[in-house]
Amino acid sequence: MKRFFTRFSVLSILCLLFTNTAFAQNITVKGVVTDGLDKTTIPSVSIMVKGSTTGVQTDANGRYSINTTANSTLVFTYVGYVTQEIPVNGQGTINVVLTPSSQQLEQVVVIGYGTQRKIDVTGAVASLKGSEISKQASTNPVGALQGKIAGVSITNTGAPGSSPQIRIRGLGTIFGNQAPLYVVDGVWYNDINFLNPGDIENMSVLKDASAQSIYGIRAANGVVLITTKKGKSGTPTTISYDAYAGFQKVTNKVKMANAEEYATFTNELAVLNGGNPVFNNTSNLGAGTDWYDQILRNAFVTNHNVSVAGGTEKSTYNISLGYLDQDGIIQTNNYKRYTARVSNDIQLLKNLKVGYNITGVSGKSKDVPATIYHQLYSAAPSVPVFKSDGSYGDPNDQLLGDGANFNPQASLDFFNQQTKQNSVTGNIFAELKFAKHFAFKTSFGGEFGQMENRKYNPKYYATYAQKSDASILDIKRVETRNWIIENTLTYDNTFSENHNLTVLLGQSAQSNKAYTLNASAQNVPFNSDADLYLSLGDAATRSVADQGSLIKFASYFARANYSFKNKYMLNASIRADGASQFFGGNETWGYFPSVGTGWVITNEDFMKNQTVFSSLKLRGSWGMIGNASVPINPSQQLLDQTGNLVAIFNNTPFTGKSVNTLIPPAIVWEKGIGTDIGIEAAFLSNRLTVEADVYSRKTSRAIFKIPVLGSLGTKDNDLLGNQADIQNRGVELSAAWTNTTEGGLNYSIGGNISYNANKVLNVLSGETPIYSGSTGITNGSLATRTVAGDPIGMFYGYKVAGIFQNAAEIANSPTQASAAPGGFKYVDLNGDGKITSADRTVIGNPNPKYTYGVNTNFAYKNFDLALDFQGVAGVDIYNANLAYRFGNENITKDFFDNRWHGEGTSNTYPSANIGASANAAPNSFYVSSGSYFRVRNAQLGYTLPDGILNKWKIKKVRIYANAQNAINIFGYKGFSPEVGPVPTDNAEKIKTTIPNSLNAGLDANVYPLFATYNFGINLTF
Amino acid sequence: MKQYNNLYKKAALGISLALSIGTVASCTKSFLDVPEQGKQQSTVFWKTADDATAGVNAIYGNLRSWENTAFPAIAIESMGSDDADKGSTASDASFFLQFDQFTIDPDQGNIGGFWNGQYRNINYTNQVLDNVPGIAMDENLKARYLAEAKFVRAFSYFRLVRAFGGVPLRLHVPKDANTDFNLPRASVTEVYAQIEKDLTEAAAVLPPTYSAADIGRATKGAALTLHAKVAMYQKKWSDVLAYTNTVMGMGYGLLPNYEKVFRIENENSIESIFEIQCALLPNNKDASNSQYSQVQGVRGITGGGWGFNVPSANLAAAYETGDPRRDATIIFRGETTPSGDLIPATGDNPMYNQKSYVPFSLFVPNFNEGAQQNVRMLRYSDVLLMNAEAANELNNPTKAISSLEEVRNRARQGNATILPKVTTTDQAELRKAIYRERRVEFAMEFDRYFDVIRQGRGTEVFGSKEWKAGRNEVWPIPQTEIDLSGGVLVQNPGY
Repeated sequence: MKRFFTRFSVLSILCLLFTNTAFAQNITVKGVVTDGLDKTTIPSVSIMVKGSTTGVQTDANGRYSINTTANSTLVFTYVGYVTQEIPVNGQGTINVVLTPSSQQLEQVVVIGYGTQRKIDVTGAVASLKGSEISKQASTNPVGALQGKIAGVSITNTGAPGSSPQIRIRGLGTIFGNQAPLYVVDGVWYNDINFLNPGDIENMSVLKDASAQSIYGIRAANGVVLITTKKGKSGTPTTISYDAYAGFQKVTNKVKMANAEEYATFTNELAVLNGGNPVFNNTSNLGAGTDWYDQILRNAFVTNHNVSVAGGTEKSTYNISLGYLDQDGIIQTNNYKRYTARVSNDIQLLKNLKVGYNITGVSGKSKDVPATIYHQLYSAAPSVPVFKSDGSYGDPNDQLLGDGANFNPQASLDFFNQQTKQNSVTGNIFAELKFAKHFAFKTSFGGEFGQMENRKYNPKYYATYAQKSDASILDIKRVETRNWIIENTLTYDNTFSENHNLTVLLGQSAQSNKAYTLNASAQNVPFNSDADLYLSLGDAATRSVADQGSLIKFASYFARANYSFKNKYMLNASIRADGASQFFGGNETWGYFPSVGTGWVITNEDFMKNQTVFSSLKLRGSWGMIGNASVPINPSQQLLDQTGNLVAIFNNTPFTGKSVNTLIPPAIVWEKGIGTDIGIEAAFLSNRLTVEADVYSRKTSRAIFKIPVLGSLGTKDNDLLGNQADIQNRGVELSAAWTNTTEGGLNYSIGGNISYNANKVLNVLSGETPIYSGSTGITNGSLATRTVAGDPIGMFYGYKVAGIFQNAAEIANSPTQASAAPGGFKYVDLNGDGKITSADRTVIGNPNPKYTYGVNTNFAYKNFDLALDFQGVAGVDIYNANLAYRFGNENITKDFFDNRWHGEGTSNTYPSANIGASANAAPNSFYVSSGSYFRVRNAQLGYTLPDGILNKWKIKKVRIYANAQNAINIFGYKGFSPEVGPVPTDNAEKIKTTIPNSLNAGLDANVYPLFATYNFGINLTF
Repeated sequence: MKQYNNLYKKAALGISLALSIGTVASCTKSFLDVPEQGKQQSTVFWKTADDATAGVNAIYGNLRSWENTAFPAIAIESMGSDDADKGSTASDASFFLQFDQFTIDPDQGNIGGFWNGQYRNINYTNQVLDNVPGIAMDENLKARYLAEAKFVRAFSYFRLVRAFGGVPLRLHVPKDANTDFNLPRASVTEVYAQIEKDLTEAAAVLPPTYSAADIGRATKGAALTLHAKVAMYQKKWSDVLAYTNTVMGMGYGLLPNYEKVFRIENENSIESIFEIQCALLPNNKDASNSQYSQVQGVRGITGGGWGFNVPSANLAAAYETGDPRRDATIIFRGETTPSGDLIPATGDNPMYNQKSYVPFSLFVPNFNEGAQQNVRMLRYSDVLLMNAEAANELNNPTKAISSLEEVRNRARQGNATILPKVTTTDQAELRKAIYRERRVEFAMEFDRYFDVIRQGRGTEVFGSKEWKAGRNEVWPIPQTEIDLSGGVLVQNPGY
């Protein structure tokens, strides 16, 4: 290093000498180079005197000093920024603001097992900078992707500590984990909930099969590569502190019926059911209780982040500490997360580097019952929160029965559950460079995690239905032990200047192990948390159960990247994966090849003189990917030995065992095959960039469970297998415009839109469609149908012609079972004079067709403003809440106002008896558009002027105000058009719940949509 | 620093070497051979006598299921009858009204629940019947196990055929999606023939009694009694008479007190022919899963229950004056039960089912109310009344009157002023008397609805509701099942 410096200095001096002799009127120009958007100074910016070989670089604080002539022009260039030329005009100080160019082709992007210049990439890879991620109020880094990248759609699930749903280019697989693979510094994860957004340097989304293929085994849902922040060598210690505080507020609250309306409705329902009115007098009830107002709150959130980074010539380091404290919008719900991260790289020898990244995370949540969201929707407004004597308002006093037989306040008050999650994760690596062109890297990583869930039901009496005569303590422990070893050998060489070749060979082995222990005991006393031990409970009531899983993968992979004269690129890769899930079947190993080509047209000689394009590139790729996110050993049939098979003879239990599943078919790898054709163009000195992609991906032999005949006698009436071929085709377009006006306004405007069409090519079960969607929320009916030729999981049911007004109308209409005035009148599609199941048809599509985003950044002097917009169009939602009734649930004000309640009152909304199974049968009334548009993010920042800072010895102070999801526009009459999965209790989550994509878009009970308002500060010392 | 460097160097070299060697070695085939954790594969099963025992145990354990004893059974087997009303509160589980009023549509979940539940029973029996024959074990025990399985299979098909008519007849574990998954409906005659075959074979092997440790298993008497019942549904009167005569010579008897027949202390009594065995095991909640008593228990009282399937006013009026069975069958509001529980005078329903009732003092928090109560499926008085009915149909009034009187005599409990002996020898009059006796003797025991239909009196008894001859003799086949069959299954007429 010392030698290098010496050489460098000599060179500089030579240069200086040269310039000195050539020009007489030389002056020294000094200044600082800063980022136009986030106002940070930029080190290592190259500053050249135009038309000469004279040049310097900015130092660690972005400062430079150059000797030049008074009438020369300086050229400022830095990778990822728009190049600027500034005439000196005799000025001694020139401070430069560089505008980032996110789409620049010269940019380096992170790809699987390495990096590549963007120009060399032949697949569809999109990146988001760490600063873009940490800027947002999302506590989970995935949330920050919403609307930012074409083809990536995010569904927020809302609850503190939960992870948003992410889909890359449509639904690629159905069974199991539909999240993409996350690779953080080389370690594989299913979820990155542990990651502090502030620790992220870069996020790369691999969108097409050729880019994903190198992660063959787990790439079916896309791959997100994350590199975390590292210290920079040769920079002094930098300390940053970032913090925000704010609150979350429910937006678009659904207005429910008030007490008087509810009582009217309930009486109507009772009479329709042949009973007597429940309420003697409805008019004296007034507004009653608004349960949403009672239970929801403006929830506080604060986040603090301190990081220390720096480096010497021999080593770099980055240490960060994070603290998040987020209240849920439901009273008492809280989530706290502490993160600590250390990364350290050491250059041991000239050619040997070792390092490690370690993250420790400790999360603790105070949980609320998962049923609370549905309780708020259905709780009776006629019931007071508390009675005048201070006891809980009891729905049983009004004989409301099931469906509304709870007081949500009591549900919360007697719910005592906490979940802790502790994990240490990271990797250590060594990288050896040898024989000039070779690099060998070995990395060992893993995750050592523990989840602790403790639930205590006290002995209590709140209401008739909410009471317990004994206490019960449930304790659950989940241990996670994952490891991954990867060895790669890279060869990188340039032959006769024009041929650039990189070859990668690699090997990987991994193991994922989980063990869950559940134990419970009754009659555990409670004076404080110190009493919450199983051993204090009744011995005879103690029970224990456990379960575990172990999955192993072994993989080999190879890749070659070749480019010729920066004009023609050829990338090819192959990965062989062995998975323990498929061991013993016909295909233990899966093989996943890919190939991609690129042509940089602007580097052709014939394009040299054109001025339209700054750059223009065409690329095309093909690849194959796999999905090992399938059940463990899916080809094996297991024994059932659960307690409900225990036989009792003479009051003594005897273990029962049997087989209650079908012999699974020999399950083979689910494979995805994708092609992608893209064009990347830049105009007007890279100020305008455009990228467009057309893609097609076919998932063949998709693995999932389908319902089977009840007469087969299986436990769950389903069967797992390679069931269907699915295709996703789409178009993506993104464009960005970056510029600085003469007035000093720096701005960028980016937009992206993507179109995706999903289609089931064939269902291997033959012509028989797959019916699904029966999760109790549609009264047991199967609300979705998957059949060849249609998109996956289409809503399927009757078409509503209107509402039966009277008996005469029923008599004159096609025969319909259980038809009653006020009930739905269905369309007799086949015209046979009867309403039968043959009259059902497709009534909606839950797969979004269009997703789009517009992202803007403005910086003027010390102010910066970011506005992000985002939306989804061409999607349907099935509002299952409306008919999800067991008794006297409340209804929405909209339903109350528009319901049928006598001849001529409505021909669209049914009577109060909407929950009757003839009305609750899946039909078109429940389907509505799920399109929405929102102001995703609005942030206004102010950076304090240098003068003040110098006095305080602070490098940078920026304060900002941020609003996320503040404005949402949609027509859907439910809570949120973002229909995620039904909320589950943290204790339930521990069980390996398998989300079923065939139930997508069925809104039964979602987390209310909320906006987050923050004030924050960024400090750099 | 130099020392450090050396240390690092050595460590790094060591680690990379170890990792490389470790991974190469581990990438052998055995690395990927990971057995399922904590679960046994079916391939290890059906090898030993213990496996046969466990497989048969599973058949009995599963009989406690929700589908066999709770909502689906109530919906299909009780709610349609004139004995039972929905109960609970007006709007709770309003779908029961569709069964009560015969406005049912095939999408209703409890139809599918009942169907699936019976076929699950059948699967567990088929597992045993297909796999146990190949196990090397005591041949006598093996034969008995197979006979027990046949009894439960016959019972399940009987419950299916009287609820739905002809159903797919699955007699083996399904093996191949292309051949034996999607079976068409067999005819009613074919289903009954199979039930009778199973019962004949079972009765030939099953022992009349068991030692204490095996109490609760299917007996010869159970197989014969069920066979008699199956024959009665087909009006094979001489078969009914023959089977019941045999059972009447097997040592069964009636308990002196009718009310006590349904109490915990009299489970598996001399009067019991077959019961679903249930228990409350404090450290095994999964096995304490019966909800039979819970769903029918008195609402609003700790230890009571949900209050569904309540006796109707029509039932309360059906008893002869002073018949003690009225009080033994119906819990009236305001009464104190013979077990000493006071039922509050005000509340949701005027009456509750006393046969499923478990004294409130036996309630254990966090467990289902009455989880310990066995479900009485076949009782000796059924044998007597079937005998009486068959004898009368075969023009043997003397025999009929004698069997009928045995039941009435016990009901009298020594009070000579009530329930006078039936003496008529007129066949029609006697038939009427036997029908009425069946109703009051077995009220709330899930038989009345099918008795009325079997007797051809559907329109007479249920005609005031939406019950229509030619349609309502059977319930609809579950719509999901028809959908999944791709048209192989044909819906019952009128649905």
